[in-house]
Amino acid sequence: MNQPLAGYAPAPVTARMETHGDHMLKVAMQTGNDILARVGSMIAYEGFIQYEPNPPAVRQIARDWITGEGAPLMKCSGDGLLYLADYGANVVVINLNGDGISVNATNLLAFDAHLTWGVERVKGLAKFAGQGLWNTRISGQGWVALTSRGKPIVVDCGGGEDETYVDPDALVAWSPNLRVKGKRSFKAQSLIGRGSGEAYQMAFSGQGIVVVQPSEDSTDRLRVRG
Amino acid sequence: MAREFQRGHKARISDLTAGTDLYVGVQISGPGLTFDISCFGLDADERLSDDRYFVFFNQPKSPEESIQLLGGQAGDTEAFRVTLDRVPAQIQKLSFTATLDGAGQMSQIAPGYIRIVAGGEEVARYAFNGSEFSTERAVMLGDFYLKDVWRFAAVGQGFDGGLEALLKNFGGEVMEEEAPAAPAPQQPSTGAAPVFAPPAFGAPAAPAPAPQGFAPPPAATPPPPPAAAPNVHAAPTIIAPMSPPGGGQVHPPAPAPAPYGQPPQQQPYGQSPPPPPGYGQPPAPQAPHAPGPPPGYGQQPAFGQVPGQQAPYGAPQGVPRTGAGVSAALQMFKETPTGQRWTLQNSKLVRVDLGMGGQPVLARQGSMVLYQGKVDFGYKGAGFAGRIVGNATGQEMQLMRCTGQGQVFLAENATHLHPVELQGDAICVSAESVLAFDESLQYEVRRIEGHGIPGGALFTMQFQGTGTIVVKTHGTPVVLPVTPTTFADANAVVAWSAASQVIVSSQVRMRRNAYPGDTGESVNLQFRGAPGNFIVVQPYEV
Repeated sequence: MNQPLAGYAPAPVTARMETHGDHMLKVAMQTGNDILARVGSMIAYEGFIQYEPNPPAVRQIARDWITGEGAPLMKCSGDGLLYLADYGANVVVINLNGDGISVNATNLLAFDAHLTWGVERVKGLAKFAGQGLWNTRISGQGWVALTSRGKPIVVDCGGGEDETYVDPDALVAWSPNLRVKGKRSFKAQSLIGRGSGEAYQMAFSGQGIVVVQPSEDSTDRLRVRG
Repeated sequence: MAREFQRGHKARISDLTAGTDLYVGVQISGPGLTFDISCFGLDADERLSDDRYFVFFNQPKSPEESIQLLGGQAGDTEAFRVTLDRVPAQIQKLSFTATLDGAGQMSQIAPGYIRIVAGGEEVARYAFNGSEFSTERAVMLGDFYLKDVWRFAAVGQGFDGGLEALLKNFGGEVMEEEAPAAPAPQQPSTGAAPVFAPPAFGAPAAPAPAPQGFAPPPAATPPPPPAAAPNVHAAPTIIAPMSPPGGGQVHPPAPAPAPYGQPPQQQPYGQSPPPPPGYGQPPAPQAPHAPGPPPGYGQQPAFGQVPGQQAPYGAPQGVPRTGAGVSAALQMFKETPTGQRWTLQNSKLVRVDLGMGGQPVLARQGSMVLYQGKVDFGYKGAGFAGRIVGNATGQEMQLMRCTGQGQVFLAENATHLHPVELQGDAICVSAESVLAFDESLQYEVRRIEGHGIPGGALFTMQFQGTGTIVVKTHGTPVVLPVTPTTFADANAVVAWSAASQVIVSSQVRMRRNAYPGDTGESVNLQFRGAPGNFIVVQPYEV
């Protein structure tokens, strides 16, 4: 009866974090090796796993998280298999190997709790009152899972002086060693309703990568009329 | 897009992909047959002058690791990673071969292929089946060869004599010389254990940019471990006695987990022999819990317990899909550079190179996600008349003009994108399905009249001229040929070739008019036209 569904059984675990299909994350949980995951992202689990919303440590670090609803992270601990997803977004698993990555808060799905992480305000973009781009910078030895609306693209900044410009709404993550600055392509005619729709970009330069999703989140991350 | 090769076809690699880090997958199978798939690195005389460039299951990589055996994955029986720019100068040709192990002949094989994948996308495929062969027992499937630049050739020729004939073809005397020396170094690793036991794959201690950094092509789901796989490698094969030249480098059991991302199906966890001393598998916290995941996940070394020497590879091993490090994990999402004006990066993202063709691009406002170079985004108004028409018909596009030099990446709401190249022909697209188009195209609003349509008529945009238009669809669309009975929902149809005639067909039934209740499908568009016309329908009704 469930013949057609048989192909969707989970594959044997080979790593701590894996994707099941393109849109689902599978985490092999172990005691003492907790993960922090986006609140509400759990879709299924096997074994014995506990969830602690907004753990004190997170609250400490993320006390000034931009979302007014408290830190959107929960701590998951226990043994078993944990499945996470975020409204059908593509999941990208990264094994940080001493590298660091700066991830947009909206695009962070889960990461190992023992990684070094912190919330940072993206420099050069804080000039709009009440808004700004908040990022989570993660580094260390461990695993990180990101989400992306649609299959992402990774662009190498090339290391030269050339700048790569990204729509902040489509930005997912970047190498923390890149230089970031804001760029306004704001013209007088934008004020009379004749904008190109691309009022503000972020310019990256240096050695590293930028991850961009093929979709522009309509969240109020950085809203400028243009 | 994968290019289909036939036997004898040749192409420059640079025409297929700009990358030099290639994945070569071979699928070959047949009822009751087992195959050994190997890669020969040949010199200018097509001789195997250096045995270290004979890459097969017992010697999974060449010395500088430009050729690596990855094992079966993503639907392929066997796969290689080839980094062409690291292949040494004396190697002029890489020949991928399949040899029958045991009885049988190549005419019995099931349909198979050799394919090249770069940047996560298949760029070339040579499909073959048993009818192309007869009594051969060894076939050369395809070659990479250096003639000014690296090229790929679909070969599909074989030898009745099996591997011996193949080797003779590549310089037979090598085989005799090496024969007596070879068995000795092989002893320590094989023993009673299957040849493929982990130590045998112990990689050279040299710090390797491990194949973990390589992204295998996306496969729908990882194939189940082929049950026969161990046998393929455990069976005494004909090459065993004369094999691994330079064996000393391959065989000493590595003192640490092989950084080589061993595909899990070759390491059945239940069967693995206990790790030999010095294997250095960290005593990871084997979580004792009953119903949970298979034991595989216990293999993950605890962070911090990693042996110092292995620090760069301290991550869990056996990770075929991802690698260590950020850039490795993201390898499969790399930008695919091509020399074209419009390039589909993946199904949802398109790149336009404004430097080529030198004309501006009109794109939907706000659809830029990223750009490199000097690009200016300006407002593109429809003009006074266009405004009036747009307001009246609903077929108005909020456009911006992208000018300058550079590459612009366009996407919107993760919809699927389809660049359509027009060469003097015309296409009708509904305005909300247009993402971008070359400014050289002319467009106008077309009116489709019919009864029963809310508002009295339907409007669409007709594009014609020479250039490319990018159409977006929600979900994977269906392209239907126009037949005498082709109907589509007016809300779901995205585009159609302008030569087809559109008629509004409404179903009028007594019953519908007499009773309440409506199927909701009463007004359809019917398409008529000569063969060759098509319509595009998306699985989404706007």
